[in-house]
Amino acid sequence: MHITHHPVLKKDERKEIKFFFNDEPLKAKVGQSIAAALMANGIKKFGVSRKLHQSRGLFCASGRCYSCFLTVDGLDHVLSCSTLVEEGMEVYSNLSDPDVRRGKNEN
Amino acid sequence: MRTDLLIVGGGPAGLNAAYKAASYGLKTIIVDKWFSLGGQLRQQTQSYDHLPQHFAKLRGYKLADFLIDRLKPLDVTILEKHTLIGAYSDGSVGVTNEKDILPIDAKNVLITTGAMEEPDIFPGWTLPGVMTAGAAQILINRERVLPGKQALILGSNEFALEVAAQLHDCGIAIKGIVENRSELLCQNEKLIARISNAEIPIVLNGVIESAIGKGKVEEAYVNHNGNNALYDVDLICVAKGITPILEPFEVMNCDLIYRERLGGWLPEYYGNFETTNPSIYVAGNAAGITNMGGILLTGEIAAISAVESLNAASTVQIKEEKEYLWNELYRIEYNSVLEARLDVINELHNEKDAQLPPLVDSLNGRLING
Repeated sequence: MHITHHPVLKKDERKEIKFFFNDEPLKAKVGQSIAAALMANGIKKFGVSRKLHQSRGLFCASGRCYSCFLTVDGLDHVLSCSTLVEEGMEVYSNLSDPDVRRGKNEN
Repeated sequence: MRTDLLIVGGGPAGLNAAYKAASYGLKTIIVDKWFSLGGQLRQQTQSYDHLPQHFAKLRGYKLADFLIDRLKPLDVTILEKHTLIGAYSDGSVGVTNEKDILPIDAKNVLITTGAMEEPDIFPGWTLPGVMTAGAAQILINRERVLPGKQALILGSNEFALEVAAQLHDCGIAIKGIVENRSELLCQNEKLIARISNAEIPIVLNGVIESAIGKGKVEEAYVNHNGNNALYDVDLICVAKGITPILEPFEVMNCDLIYRERLGGWLPEYYGNFETTNPSIYVAGNAAGITNMGGILLTGEIAAISAVESLNAASTVQIKEEKEYLWNELYRIEYNSVLEARLDVINELHNEKDAQLPPLVDSLNGRLING
């Protein structure tokens, strides 16, 4: 949920944009991280851990813990806390080991 | 790229150092891994007591704006979304924007990468909804997103209480501040009063036994004096303190030392904040966990050391600057922190048989004398 009336900060005038999470259209604000945009839509579980398949979500929000990684526009293992959400972005849960990035590094 | 001073990390220490160095004519570059400068100041909505005399009392995010804005007329190049990844054999430093690698040939490097939050391990600690207090604060103040409706705070240091109060002000019900010791770690009376006015329960001698839920936190067991109580919460904020970030010092081959009072492992440094790798300096929380005044001042002392190494100011100017900065540090920094910091400095000077700067030496005496 978005905070509409912040106790200290002035009114939030960031523009609204649309992105997709597991093919579902969601709204976000310009300048938000992907992780925050998901949390604003009530989504806390971003994916599962690679070995034990336990639920994972945002933990440190600082790009250090790697708990929040997602597949973003076809790229696996993107840190959603330190990547800004963009109009039309296609975001998917990471549910297993990443594929080798064949598109760019085919050999 | 060539520069007089490369600053790694654009938080309060790095920004303040850049201003000081560039004011003396040093060509300065700041690299920061995030897409905006300011470091952890950007989500601090509280204002700081104990700032150096040359700073006005400002809320954290406004202090960040001030530190950034005053760099504009100076010769400071800012590289956002750039990370330090290595050092070349010729002494230059490699930074990357995740596409290209840029070698920077810097006469001095100042590492101000700050600190990271410590996790706390209990069954369920990896469930979504368990996050660091810093993460929750980023969500409410930078992202303007509520991380939950009902929360437990784990830990009772000053930051834990500050975040608890800020979450409360945003409408989140704080069900308890859980501390495993028998007293609060926070000694800030004003903050404790705020928590008590907000009627936030404090659970001393308490531990979180487990967090439970399907795909996210729904409940948590708190053991309080041997009795288990079930709390209905969807958010657990872990605030067990912070510790210096070490990777940049490992990359740059700086020797490390352990000091619990300074947050754990940190790079060793001399009285001018130079590490054991010549012309690599450290400041801010990376040089030992301190308060905002200490972060700003150590940045400035390190910058003056870089200015001195390049003879970019007169001996008199350098002496005056250092005297003022060290006296401010003595006035502002918690005594136990300054004591631990001086201990690190003394030890390295002894070990390398290097002469202690007279100012640091005189502070040794003043601390011993109380």
